[in-house]
Amino acid sequence: MAVRVTQEAFDPQREVAAFTAGRDDAGALVSFVGYCRAANDGVAVQELRIDHYPGFTEREIARLAEDVRHRFDCPDLLVVHRVGTIHPGEAIVLVAALSTHRASAFDAVRVLMDYLKTDAPLWKKESGPDGARWIEPRPEDHARRLEAEKGRT
Amino acid sequence: MVRLVFLGKFGDVAPPDLAEVSLPADVHTLKDLQHWLAHQQPLLGQAMAATPTRLIVNQCVTHDLSAPVRDGDEVAFLPPMSGG
Repeated sequence: MAVRVTQEAFDPQREVAAFTAGRDDAGALVSFVGYCRAANDGVAVQELRIDHYPGFTEREIARLAEDVRHRFDCPDLLVVHRVGTIHPGEAIVLVAALSTHRASAFDAVRVLMDYLKTDAPLWKKESGPDGARWIEPRPEDHARRLEAEKGRT
Repeated sequence: MVRLVFLGKFGDVAPPDLAEVSLPADVHTLKDLQHWLAHQQPLLGQAMAATPTRLIVNQCVTHDLSAPVRDGDEVAFLPPMSGG
């Protein structure tokens, strides 16, 4: 399992290729990439800034990922999350799961993304021509998080 | 001295000189610290009162506002998170 929080732009395809290189123990790979959009809720976005709490953020994301890995019996997970200044079109987050079968890989990625939206110690601020605003989880993010928790056995 | 870390929107209203503070003699607990901060920096106090705030002491989550604050501690104030 690998968790990386980085100021540098990353290439999701290259990350996934490195993650899967030489692996012959998995029958399924699922990956998700979240990108910075040029507009959010109809408001133009020129720049996104993501704050983190060094040390704590990495540990909390690793804790969430480990929880998901055990829950779905997923042999391996990869999380890469950008922090700092991000521009539209750049990748913000990559979550990838390698598993024996597709169902657990899909579930692991979906649930880990739900967790990251509400529980990862990260704070997004969007800036555009109309000013800047801090983004907080939407009601549907909390609803998905609760739904993900309900599925726990 | 106590190190204070203000994340997200709290960082916008917390002045840089709050990063390291010498606590007054009557600040013993996290609750005392929050009250003192709100008194010193009304904008910060308002921001924290308006949103659920999590406290992290020495990189550990704490829910007990009666926990003591001691010299050398690092206390972080976290507004709601927005990752992913």
